[in-house]
Amino acid sequence: MRTRKTTAWLRLVQVAAALVALTGCGHNRVESSPGTIQVDIETSPTSTDPRFGTDAMSSRINELIFDSLVKPDRNGQFVERLAQSIEHPSPTRAVYHLNHGVRFSDGRELTARDVLFTYNSIRAPESMSPKRASLEELKSIEAPDDYTVVITVAHPYAPAVEIATEGIVPVGTPLPAGGSGAAPVGSGPFKMVTYSRDEFLRLERNPYYPHPPGAAQSILFKIVPDPTVRALELAEGVCDLSPNNIQFDVLPWLSADQSLEISSTPGSTYRYLSFNFRNPQLRDIRVRRAIAYAIDRNTIVSSVLRGTGRIATGMLAPESWAYDGNVTTYSYDPEKARQLLDQAGYPAGKDGMRRLRFEFKTTPEGARDGEIFQAMLQRVGIELTIRKLEFATYYADIQAGNFDLTSLQWVGITDPNQYFRIFDSNKTPPHGENRGYYSNPEMDRLVEAGKTTVDTEARKKIYAEVQRLAADDLPYVSLWWVDNVAVMNRRLVGFEAYPNGSLRSLATLTLIGPDGGEPSQ
Amino acid sequence: MIRYGLRRILALIPVALGVATLTFAIIHLVPGDPVTAMLGETAAPTDVVEMRRQLGLDRPLLEQYVAYLGGLAVGDLGESISYRKPVVRLIAERFPATIELAAAGMLVALLLAFPLGLIAGANPGGAGDIGAMGFAIVGISVPHIYLGPLLMILFSLDLRWLPLTGRGGIAHLVLPSVTLGTALAAILARMLRQSLIRVRESDYMRTALSKGLSPRSALFRHGLKNALTSVVTIIGLQMGALLSGTLIIEMIFSWPGIGRLLITAIGARDYPVVEGCVLTFAMTYVVVNLATDLVYAMIDPRVRIS
Repeated sequence: MRTRKTTAWLRLVQVAAALVALTGCGHNRVESSPGTIQVDIETSPTSTDPRFGTDAMSSRINELIFDSLVKPDRNGQFVERLAQSIEHPSPTRAVYHLNHGVRFSDGRELTARDVLFTYNSIRAPESMSPKRASLEELKSIEAPDDYTVVITVAHPYAPAVEIATEGIVPVGTPLPAGGSGAAPVGSGPFKMVTYSRDEFLRLERNPYYPHPPGAAQSILFKIVPDPTVRALELAEGVCDLSPNNIQFDVLPWLSADQSLEISSTPGSTYRYLSFNFRNPQLRDIRVRRAIAYAIDRNTIVSSVLRGTGRIATGMLAPESWAYDGNVTTYSYDPEKARQLLDQAGYPAGKDGMRRLRFEFKTTPEGARDGEIFQAMLQRVGIELTIRKLEFATYYADIQAGNFDLTSLQWVGITDPNQYFRIFDSNKTPPHGENRGYYSNPEMDRLVEAGKTTVDTEARKKIYAEVQRLAADDLPYVSLWWVDNVAVMNRRLVGFEAYPNGSLRSLATLTLIGPDGGEPSQ
Repeated sequence: MIRYGLRRILALIPVALGVATLTFAIIHLVPGDPVTAMLGETAAPTDVVEMRRQLGLDRPLLEQYVAYLGGLAVGDLGESISYRKPVVRLIAERFPATIELAAAGMLVALLLAFPLGLIAGANPGGAGDIGAMGFAIVGISVPHIYLGPLLMILFSLDLRWLPLTGRGGIAHLVLPSVTLGTALAAILARMLRQSLIRVRESDYMRTALSKGLSPRSALFRHGLKNALTSVVTIIGLQMGALLSGTLIIEMIFSWPGIGRLLITAIGARDYPVVEGCVLTFAMTYVVVNLATDLVYAMIDPRVRIS
């Protein structure tokens, strides 16, 4: 009897143990080795093929593996990379002379044929690449010889040089069969050796790329979705670098750790509050200005962001060549906000509230910002209801222009032509990113001129006007530029932050201590 | 028994159909679109149309539904939109990790619940009972999202005994399975305690005591077996909670199972993957319940399967 009664329990335990043992067999482990830098990232790149990946994570990783004709430098200026020199025989033509002797990580030499192949495979209708649209201004691309590439655009197009930023793959690289395969070979500082989607990806040095002495042998990108766990991995010393993905709340805790260093540098990511002009109340400039005055951005930056941001005057950060900060600013002034609302015909009721009620759409992560705006706007009599949606639903609504107010950010803006994409009145959904249906003929004229003027000085003047008009007319309330906050182990030496969040300096970082890097090849 | 088993297996078909239909309807009805998620807002309208056609998303919903069921009938869950791989393969790659985690969670739950329930049930109101049930209350109340990092701080960061995240050997499994199994352990321990208290008052226990058995051996020999039946039922029912718990645990511990696959797929509106993962979870739950019923019949002779 006694044997039988405990059997059931024991059997359950045995079944569970057997399952654990069975399923645990033959699994790849994520292991770090000496000379390896571990970088914790929050999501997998959507594509390891530079012809496809458009999300920030794909761009950050792909630029370590692939080189392009030109690359933006720290200030968003394009500098030669694979190209040795650039000529502009006419406003619509650019001739790129390639460097000789550049090799892919499999030893093949990179020539103009590879460049041509890369662009043609993106442009082919069957590629279904999300980058196809970004090349629509490209009229033709030719390779008169192995070291010359000629890019022709249909009309004078100021940001034409952006076309030359695609990562180059060798001739014959097939279109990606799966989103989870390892990357094709490139000519950048690293090659990808393993990719286990949602787990990790490992890069090793490209033997044909000139590395500085002491540079790390390999980089292990580990995908850690939970922000608390990323912080714990840093504290434990498992992770060497967490770029822009640590919650502000835990920064004081991490800064107390002697083995860690927090690098906070000015960033170009622009956070804004967007209005929907289809709402008649928001079409009134006085209401928009009142909202701008009612938001105490200084307090938010110093308390919620723990100082890791700069109050923004517009989309372009001061590091941009086209930046002009001589614009109308809206420092916190609730009294002025109330006056503006009174003038707009929305007097305050007995409870201080006015007939102004807007919906603020956001994601669970953005809900805290929403609550702060809600409390601040309530002080001036505006009621904000918060609608919290799962990200894909939220984003579908925003892309379709279904919101009153929302707050988002632009990441990695290099060329001011972005103003055309977001404020031109023809770029409303579903044709573009003017999601708030902003329309102003003066803005249309300016952003069009900025797009077609090739002369940099003339463009700079145009965008100074654009920045002034955007600050006066308020299609967006500029909130702040987000700092780049990287937390890293002190054994990493030489990390250089880029305003756009690029991780390019991983190629030149060195490791000190017992795990230090081996001599370069 | 065999006929009963077969009948129960046949009954899985309508359940699968129901789950498949509901998942299909819900994921297609919520806003968001896999094509926009992949191509972005700036995509050329012709590309969007072409991709929708390639993926079959331009066809009427009913037609897509029938095609989906047709595929399902032959074990084809379709191809993932974002991974561009057969969903069956994606799930097959990750399901072992989820089962490993769930089984380990169950193991932890059983190993904790049995002694705790026994200590508490053997002497209700005693110090052991108060201690064990105090643990149970804490276990039920602390959410995974809090317990996980807490265990990590203690065992990985301070004591350096166990790895923080990822899947590897047994050491990697300890923290996620303890996090997952604690709440279930607490529920099972309380259940076992209640059952033991209930059986103590039964006639057969009184008989056992009156024929001279010590309270302890009466409890072990007669009480425990009868108390177990209700606990086994709960184990089956709690499997749902355990499986849904793996979703959170996989995110916290960077565990490469289908829970993470599902969450990523929901974000990308990867319809076939969402449908496949939900179906797999649901079927696992149903099959575990079927297994529980069979075990129940084995340990309780009063239950006759026919």
